[in-house]
Amino acid sequence: MDTPILVAEKLAVRFETAEGPVTAVDDVSFSVRQGEFLSIIGPSGCGKSTVFNVIGGLLSQHQGTVKVAGELIDGPHKSIGMVFQEESTFPWRNVVDNVAFPLELTGMPKQKRIERAEHFIRMVGLDGFEKRYPGELSGGMRQRVSLARTLASEPKILLMDEPFAALDEQTRLLLGDKVLQIQQQLSQTTLLITHNITEAVQMSDRILVMTYRPGRVKRIVDIDLPRPRTSDIVGSEAFGRYVAQIWNDLREEASRGLKDEEAHMLHEARP
Amino acid sequence: MAATGHLTKAPTRSGVSAVTLLRVGLVVGALAIWEGLARSGWLYRDVVPSLLAIAKALVALLTSGEYYFHLGVTVGEIAVALAIGGGCGVVVGLILGGNRFLARAFEIYLYYLGPTPKIIFFPVMIMWFGVGSGSKIALGALSCFFPVALSVAAGMREIDRVLIRVGRSFRADTWQMIAKIYLPAMRHPIINGVRLGLGIALIGTLLAETKLSNKGIGFLIINAYSTFDMPRMYANLIVLFVIAIGANALVGRFGGLDTIRR
Amino acid sequence: MSAAAPARRAAALADIAPAATGLACVVAFFAVMEALIRSGLISEYIVPPPSQVIDALGRVVMEEHIVRRFFLTIGECLTTGVMITVFGVAGGVAMHRYKLLQQAVETWVAALAAAPVVLAYPLFMVIFGRNAWTIIMIGFVAALPPVILKTIEGLSGTRKVLINVGRSFNLSGSQQFFKIMLPAALPTIFTGIRLGLIFALINIVGVEFLINYGGLGQLINDLAERYDLPGTYAAICFVILVSVVFFMTLEKIERWLRPAT
Repeated sequence: MDTPILVAEKLAVRFETAEGPVTAVDDVSFSVRQGEFLSIIGPSGCGKSTVFNVIGGLLSQHQGTVKVAGELIDGPHKSIGMVFQEESTFPWRNVVDNVAFPLELTGMPKQKRIERAEHFIRMVGLDGFEKRYPGELSGGMRQRVSLARTLASEPKILLMDEPFAALDEQTRLLLGDKVLQIQQQLSQTTLLITHNITEAVQMSDRILVMTYRPGRVKRIVDIDLPRPRTSDIVGSEAFGRYVAQIWNDLREEASRGLKDEEAHMLHEARP
Repeated sequence: MAATGHLTKAPTRSGVSAVTLLRVGLVVGALAIWEGLARSGWLYRDVVPSLLAIAKALVALLTSGEYYFHLGVTVGEIAVALAIGGGCGVVVGLILGGNRFLARAFEIYLYYLGPTPKIIFFPVMIMWFGVGSGSKIALGALSCFFPVALSVAAGMREIDRVLIRVGRSFRADTWQMIAKIYLPAMRHPIINGVRLGLGIALIGTLLAETKLSNKGIGFLIINAYSTFDMPRMYANLIVLFVIAIGANALVGRFGGLDTIRR
Repeated sequence: MSAAAPARRAAALADIAPAATGLACVVAFFAVMEALIRSGLISEYIVPPPSQVIDALGRVVMEEHIVRRFFLTIGECLTTGVMITVFGVAGGVAMHRYKLLQQAVETWVAALAAAPVVLAYPLFMVIFGRNAWTIIMIGFVAALPPVILKTIEGLSGTRKVLINVGRSFNLSGSQQFFKIMLPAALPTIFTGIRLGLIFALINIVGVEFLINYGGLGQLINDLAERYDLPGTYAAICFVILVSVVFFMTLEKIERWLRPAT
């Protein structure tokens, strides 16, 4: 409980673009304790997806270090499981084959794979849909399949990049409940990237607010709301106060982002 | 292919749709004109033989063991041509699709050399592979290599990028990535490529047979021409076209089998 | 910003690097072939050295009435091109106008597109004789389907809003067709004509070779029958070159017609 399971130190990412070098992320440091739920929130363009890719090991060109249980990462780490923002289920595999995918890669025998996969399919509430194909499921159900697939690999750290961004508000709230339930059941260490304040406050123990590009840590907020939590909490006064506080921080950054974008478009408008 | 808009089946009293009636009418009309021409004597002798003569020739063809020997030769040549040309096409397509640098370096040659008449390479193929099946297979393979390679390369680039990231996030090794992610994700472009390749290998191989061969369907066709046995030529052509269009449709249907799941 | 200039130069270099590498590899390949053949590792009676082929190319161009042959082949192509444009667009318009016809016949046209028409060339020879008409007719039958299909596609694909604009101005049926639908469909129709012309060229040159009549295709046949190996290779290269230039020209024309894409 004391030594953090994930430590990110002075992360910085610079890209070369046609207009010159751009710093996406600058001097981001934070740590995550075991069993903790940490959200990273920021306006569009703050580099939070870049942070996601760095921690997930999919972006190797960066300064700074990421340590998982004391080990420096070098590519995707076996203790980190990623859930992506876009539709990521394999359309040619049915639900149980999708969820069993990481187990297949490690060579687990078939019967054991299927049992394990079915366990996680039940956990996300999709029992009965094992033989269906993603094409037959709704968007929310497909995201649940992606979640079950990642959980099946039993990662020490669950890393999610706006997994509910494409869903409508009600589905999002209900899925958020589901994720909370699972996280509490498994004591899963979770790192959630989001731009949705309600979602972040609902689910997290702590929230890291990022500035607009170049992304830096603006503030880390402790969310002192009682656990276990459900979506009922969304109406409470304490909840509202946290949301307002974070929106205050974000508003400044978001409007900087908007102005920047408009200036950019004006600049490009003359062909 | 054009979008075939709204299918309005207006049933007549007998329950047969207008579309079917029109089709039947067109076919019957065409056959009637044909028979008329055949009997009129306007055209030289057998250029348009009577439908009966053609039917007889068809029956004679399909009941002769000799036909199936030639059919076997041709099908064998096409199969090998597709395996070699298509196989190389898939490998090259995978390489070009997976590597941007190589694609920008070499794909342009495939793109511009693709739509050219390959039959003109036949004399060279004869030099290299002799007058037997080898040169026919070589020509068929050369013909179908280009469209398959371009099709597979394009297919690779159209793979949803997130699926590749999923594979990498689960630390799949190269073989696992190819077998469990790249190939399944590309099943539609691959099947369409094979379909295209089959059609083109068929043409390449058969044209070569008509030019210089003593076996195969192409040989039978040119042989019928040189003996002016028109009913036999028509019979050969009819069977050939039925097989060609049928094979194309079959591969297409096979490719569409899993669209129910999509 | 002094940092930007070297970055731009590096970017420009990175831009042409792949194309340059590709070209270099092709040149290197021919250089290696030349060396292998001269050294005797590959018999020069099976593959002539590239240098001989280039020489032969000059000779072929001079001696074999290349210009006349070229115009013969192009003439056949253009005749086919005119025929497919007239009949293809008319056919497509008719099928678009009479939906019943379209529903009945469109799949047949698509099947014809997939069918190996050129394999029936002996039949065409019987009907038209061993002359240019056989060649043109085969080109015509093979190239017609894409024009028809693309014409239908272009006309059906006219954006609904444009049609409504026409209706809001009370345009008559034929005005609607000539002032709105046809112009809107033109780029797609040209794509169909381009595809048709490419099929036409491939089939025309192929048949010229097969029946030993005509322009460029016949040239290759001639040289092959004379066992003029370097000449044959040179002629093949020349014809491929003509094909490629033809294809590129059609692409340029299409791009000029579709500036928005």
